[in-house]
Amino acid sequence: MIVENSTVVARGLAVRRAGRWLLRPATFGVRAGVVGLAGPAKTGKSTLLATLATLRRPHSGSLEILGFDIGDNTSLRSIRARIGFLPEHFSWAANLTVGQFVAYAAYYKCVPGDRVRAVLERMELADTTSMELSLLPPDVRLRVGLAATCVHGPDLVLLDEPLAGLDERATAEITALLPTLAPTVLVTAEDSAALGRCDQLFTVTRGRLVETSRAPDAACAGGRDRV
Amino acid sequence: MSDLGRVLRADARRTALVFAVPILALAGVATAWQATLAGLPGVAYWDNTVVALASAVRLLGPCAAALAAWVAVREHRLDYLRGLTPRSPAIGPLLDLMLLTGVALAAYGVVALVTVCDTLLREGAGRPHPLGIVAGAAALAPHVVLGYLCGRIAPFPMVVLPVAGAAGLWTALRGGGWWSLLPPAAIRPVELFTGLRTRVLADQTLWALGLAATLTLAYVWTLTRRRTLAVPLAVAVAVTAISTVRLEASGGSAVVPAPIDHVCREWPLTVCVHPALRPALPALDAAMTPLAARLAGTPGAFSRVEQRPVGEPARIWRGVAYIRVPDLSPGFEWRAVRELRASLIDAQSCAEPHRRHGAAYRGLVDAWLLDERAPEMFDAETARRFGSWSERERRLWLRLNYADYRRCTLVRQSFGG
Repeated sequence: MIVENSTVVARGLAVRRAGRWLLRPATFGVRAGVVGLAGPAKTGKSTLLATLATLRRPHSGSLEILGFDIGDNTSLRSIRARIGFLPEHFSWAANLTVGQFVAYAAYYKCVPGDRVRAVLERMELADTTSMELSLLPPDVRLRVGLAATCVHGPDLVLLDEPLAGLDERATAEITALLPTLAPTVLVTAEDSAALGRCDQLFTVTRGRLVETSRAPDAACAGGRDRV
Repeated sequence: MSDLGRVLRADARRTALVFAVPILALAGVATAWQATLAGLPGVAYWDNTVVALASAVRLLGPCAAALAAWVAVREHRLDYLRGLTPRSPAIGPLLDLMLLTGVALAAYGVVALVTVCDTLLREGAGRPHPLGIVAGAAALAPHVVLGYLCGRIAPFPMVVLPVAGAAGLWTALRGGGWWSLLPPAAIRPVELFTGLRTRVLADQTLWALGLAATLTLAYVWTLTRRRTLAVPLAVAVAVTAISTVRLEASGGSAVVPAPIDHVCREWPLTVCVHPALRPALPALDAAMTPLAARLAGTPGAFSRVEQRPVGEPARIWRGVAYIRVPDLSPGFEWRAVRELRASLIDAQSCAEPHRRHGAAYRGLVDAWLLDERAPEMFDAETARRFGSWSERERRLWLRLNYADYRRCTLVRQSFGG
């Protein structure tokens, strides 16, 4: 369903890869809040997320993100300035420190160096600034990825399977962190139960995207205490 | 350190570019050294310094292309950070290309430094060719850009192998014709009395830079769709096309005859050689003097020895012996003397079957002229008699019988038998 002020508006959006429909033509809107996208493995969630991140072109249809049409090249740069995207197996440089990695992201996000310290403190990473990424446990490394993704204060954050492989405690901590990352956070998972309670939930199966109804007062665990 | 400096340093560390420089440099130096040895042994010639560097580029180029493809594949994984940027989407690839080109040029710089120092230490003849060194450096640029673009278009680790293979084939399969002048050029060692064509070097530089600029600008255009790129792109294409036409017009030859002033040694004989062979003067003088003394008073007498290009035959003409000395490999002076001695005879006459005996007597005289041991021959009595003569008697005899010696018409009676 498309509502006024939807962060993402897709009309007839279709995504194909290697001759296979990953998303058959679909019309949908992504509203503010924590939005879940659930579906079995290898059903195209990552490709759809990369498309919403403007890193892939849709096969057909139109796509508006944050009020800009991605078909317009001048708009594209404006959209990209306000998006944060973290792929499932995000690449990090094993020999870079946490501070260096987030500063690297800050350069490309065009934000000053003092924002690096601020986002590291926000992600409770201040003590690990000088540690090499390869030495960190997975949940802390994920926090570093989130810091790099959100160093510029994006309006839309797209996270691909961020909770995969985390233990229960780390999952709870990260889930509580999600609503604070941006006004709209789109998170994927194989199982919708892993996402906790979301403001909006989509499921994708066999190339079809379906918006699943939730309780009207549903909110992701951790509430909407956005910073 | 600026933000950009920090980013470049992080990229260099992530992609292990610091380790690439010494490895590439080592491979390049080894190739250049091999090319130097294969060129003109023992001769330091500035033109062949450029040839050695061109040979190094023929290895460095494919290596740099493979490295660039690998870095592109690695950096592709960071597109989620570098692609979603308010900066130009081309900034990441351009920084990568800047780093990779820097690495390739640093390695090439080491190779050039070693090769130039070697030529300087050996007091190389000819004149240095800064443009030749620049042409070698420029030839690396299209390799880096092409390798990088292949890695961007097909971001799989396996792409490194086909990239290296394709670059290697491009280098290896252009054996001759004007194709071989396209960078990285396949230039044969430059013989003495010839030199590299400055125009060809300039065209090679323009071709390489034009192609690298064309590819880079075209890729940036696909990322940014900026119309302002059309003009520099058109200029780059035009430069590449014009330099291609000019290289084709060169006819595939990278060298031209280069007149030079000989360097001479005046005593006991006047021996003049190419400046690159200055160290050869004492040995040549020592080897030529006995022959000159023995031929004195005959039509083959000479008092001056002059080195000629390799393509010209050795001969004696109006008191001047023209010799060929292609390099200074061991025994060069004796090869020159033998060639000169061989030029004394009338090959057509000596080849006739009925002059078989005359040729055998001639061999007896040849051995004396060259200070060699007399050969076994059918007429042992004549050989013994000739061997018993004094040096003065032999010289007098040669003055009288030179025409028969030359035409292989010597008989037993020529020796007083």
